[in-house]
Amino acid sequence: MDTRRCIGCHACTVACKVNNELPIDMIYNPVFTHGPNGVFPHVSMTFYPHLCMHCKNPPCVGCCPTGASRQEADGIVWVDRNTCIGCKACIQACPYHARHPNPRTGTVQKCDFCMERVREGLEAFCVQTCHQRARIFGDLDDPGSAVSHIVRSMNTLQLLPEVGTDPQVYYIVSPGGQV
Amino acid sequence: MKEEHRWGWPVAFYLFLGGLGGGMTALAGLSDLIFGRGEAFSLGSLIGGSAIAVGSALLVFELGRPFQFWRVLSRQRAIMTAGAWMLSLTIFTSVAHFSFWPGFSPWQQLVGLRHLVAAINIVLGLGVCVYTGILLGSLRARAFWNTPILPVLFLVSGLSTGAAGQSLVAGAWPYRGSAVDVEAVHAALRSLDLTLVVFEIMVLFLYVLMMRLAAGKVAARIAATWLAGQKSLAFWGGVVVLGLAAPGLLYVFSSAAAHAAAPVLVLIGGLVLRFLVVFSDERAELPGESQYYSRLPKPDALFLKAWD
Repeated sequence: MDTRRCIGCHACTVACKVNNELPIDMIYNPVFTHGPNGVFPHVSMTFYPHLCMHCKNPPCVGCCPTGASRQEADGIVWVDRNTCIGCKACIQACPYHARHPNPRTGTVQKCDFCMERVREGLEAFCVQTCHQRARIFGDLDDPGSAVSHIVRSMNTLQLLPEVGTDPQVYYIVSPGGQV
Repeated sequence: MKEEHRWGWPVAFYLFLGGLGGGMTALAGLSDLIFGRGEAFSLGSLIGGSAIAVGSALLVFELGRPFQFWRVLSRQRAIMTAGAWMLSLTIFTSVAHFSFWPGFSPWQQLVGLRHLVAAINIVLGLGVCVYTGILLGSLRARAFWNTPILPVLFLVSGLSTGAAGQSLVAGAWPYRGSAVDVEAVHAALRSLDLTLVVFEIMVLFLYVLMMRLAAGKVAARIAATWLAGQKSLAFWGGVVVLGLAAPGLLYVFSSAAAHAAAPVLVLIGGLVLRFLVVFSDERAELPGESQYYSRLPKPDALFLKAWD
């Protein structure tokens, strides 16, 4: 996530909702506005585009009593709607508000990085639609990928690292090199 | 911040009933195995098992898909799976333990078998008391739950409410002892529950105080609402005074009315405590989050309903 590029247009939120056909009150990837902070003339405002952090140590997977909540070998965390019983333990376990109960189906659902599209080599809807290229997607395990390069070389932060889940979404927060 | 208490009153009730039932079952097993007084406590075993059954039913109806509840037993290594197994087994073993006493079971003479069931009940009852604390305490996302003292608090509170529950029913049918015997049983339960109440006061104060002083920002903020804020009336009035201090004093006095009132107050205190804990589930705020959610339309906004 490049917070220097994000202009807070919420196009990713809309693209996700429309293409994943989410219920009207469910948002996988909000864009939070942090600020304005400081006192004039020294003010700043940052947009934080969100999605599931697809943590390396996902607490939502270990607490699931049915095994519906899982992590794939490539790191994607998702929920199998056939075996989810809606106990909401994973919602309590998630520090990022990335899991949403659906009262119609009775199950919990979440951002799955558009798993089916990514497997076909396509981009997730939110990444595809971002005209500022603020959402940068790639393989962090591949040292040659653009995202690996960014995380190695730029000033990035993870949200709530103290919870210890090792989120796999990094935010570029201040001037560094260009991609 | 967007209010999202994902676990509501059924879970709070279940936590209370689970602690109560686990405590009663474990105490019944303990009294049989160690003190040889199982008969006086046997009705408590049945009532404890029923409390666990009612609590489990509440949990099932809290699920998004209640009829798929059996899946909860299907996975190893999840705390909730272990808890679900313990609950299911305890419902049966507590009733099994009771079945040795009323005098109609063919197996009532098998003392060895009864002792085995009693031993199983001690382990399972304590497990039911404590696993909920482990379940909530292991959630690192919820600052006020994520502490090793929470299972301790739930264990002490479960045993204390269990002793109170036993006080209300011990010595009743199917016990056939004399009135003097019944009074001796009640005196023992009073001193036990007094001890547990004193322990619980200490554990509870350590919990809230350490959350206020030594934990992170979110936990400290919640602890402040317990001590002097939104939840302070329920905490000081409902738990500390009504649920712990008052019954502690009543146990010391020797009037019959005081002895009857004290266990009821302990039960009320245990229930209020579970509600307080369940509704203290705030998590750390993400940058800009509260601003975002406060500006979203309410779910009943006209244009949202028009969409549906």
